[in-house]
Amino acid sequence: MSILNDRMYTKSHEWVQFLEDNKARIGLTDYAQDSLGGLVFVNLPEEGDDVTKEVSFGDVESVKAVSDIFSPVSGTVCAINEELMDSPERINDDPYGVWLIEVKNISEKTELLSADEYEKYLKEEA
Amino acid sequence: MINSLRYIISNQYIPYENLALEKYLLFSVKEDECILYLWQNKNTVVIGKNQNAFKECKVEDLKRDNGYLVRRLSGGGAVYHDLGNLNFTFLVRQENYNLEKQLEVILRAVRKLSINAEKSGRNDITIDGKKFSGNAFFSSNGFNYHHGTLLVNVNMNDLSKYLNVSSDKLKSKGVASVKSRVTNLTSYNPGITVDELKIKLIEAFKEVYKSDPHKISYEKIDVSKIKEFKDEFSSQDFIFGKKIKSEYELAKRFSWGDIQIQVNLSGGFIKDILIYSDAMNEHLIEQVQCVLKGCFFGSCDLCNRLNEIRVEDEISKQMLCDINRLICENLE
Repeated sequence: MSILNDRMYTKSHEWVQFLEDNKARIGLTDYAQDSLGGLVFVNLPEEGDDVTKEVSFGDVESVKAVSDIFSPVSGTVCAINEELMDSPERINDDPYGVWLIEVKNISEKTELLSADEYEKYLKEEA
Repeated sequence: MINSLRYIISNQYIPYENLALEKYLLFSVKEDECILYLWQNKNTVVIGKNQNAFKECKVEDLKRDNGYLVRRLSGGGAVYHDLGNLNFTFLVRQENYNLEKQLEVILRAVRKLSINAEKSGRNDITIDGKKFSGNAFFSSNGFNYHHGTLLVNVNMNDLSKYLNVSSDKLKSKGVASVKSRVTNLTSYNPGITVDELKIKLIEAFKEVYKSDPHKISYEKIDVSKIKEFKDEFSSQDFIFGKKIKSEYELAKRFSWGDIQIQVNLSGGFIKDILIYSDAMNEHLIEQVQCVLKGCFFGSCDLCNRLNEIRVEDEISKQMLCDINRLICENLE
């Protein structure tokens, strides 16, 4: 299971990468995509919608189930990854290269884990 | 670890109320327990979380017959429920989720009715290769449910009555349904009833999890939460999926010219509409475009709006009449 050092993680298996100008990109971890299985649909908010830390902002549907996705930060959605509308399976192919939404004006963050901490957390969960 | 079992049987048949109770139970399940919830919907089409309502369901027909349309939280395809169908839900925390065991409860209950059901594939249970149960799954923040239908004695002719087999005219980015070969449990044991199956399910629940299930009393349920969730499930935005965009295209050649109507839907309503036509009466085309924008995407609503347009000359009357018919033919 791959985990990258250039971003932070949540216990609900999202990754968050902070960018310049108080923005961040949010995606699903390799562990998440692997346990979800082949994705068939991604239900995302719209640009301009507000997201709140630890509150669901969308869901992903795989061949197995629908699972809510939780926001690691509070802020306003400034971009959504449109390519996922037609090819949600891109997340399975490249979980760290493919982001779901970009959030700006970040006002709050949930408790985030470093790559090492996330790795440890996964081992404890297993 | 599951140390405690609880169960509840719904006391009514309204889908919004039933799904509200299911959601309430999901977030009230404790770390060491499993809840089994049994419920039935009357005359209802249930679509998957990420499906397009218009693509899957004959919305107008269902409405005319006073049926219910509801969107569930779990994934997968559209199904029709009547009172010959019994639904079950297993609600557990993530760490207690065990699909194998949950399906074992169903298999055991059915076998108690002298029907030889078996597991097939990862999450199907069948009799002679035919499905009598469709299963779907939802998880949110460590709370999971697995629910499914059990066809006891549903009216087989009604199963596909309100479902669209395929609709090429509607381009939508939702999840598509898959048609399956299905059978009623009564085809294998004609004497059985839904009530009997309920009893067998509770018995099997006890045997598989080796503990006594306790009945959840309705008095302990937070009615304000149920009301909140019920409002959510019955809202037009949720049912028609505000976020599930779709495009619909109607086109036909008439004596007065070609017409092509393109609409973008959001939450069941027309968000944008474009009409292309080579008809001479441009003004009327503009008026049609204008009255239909923002309208609910059902043939009655659309035709009522068209009827608001006042025209004098015969050609315009003919045009409106043709557009009216084009809409009705395509949406019913």
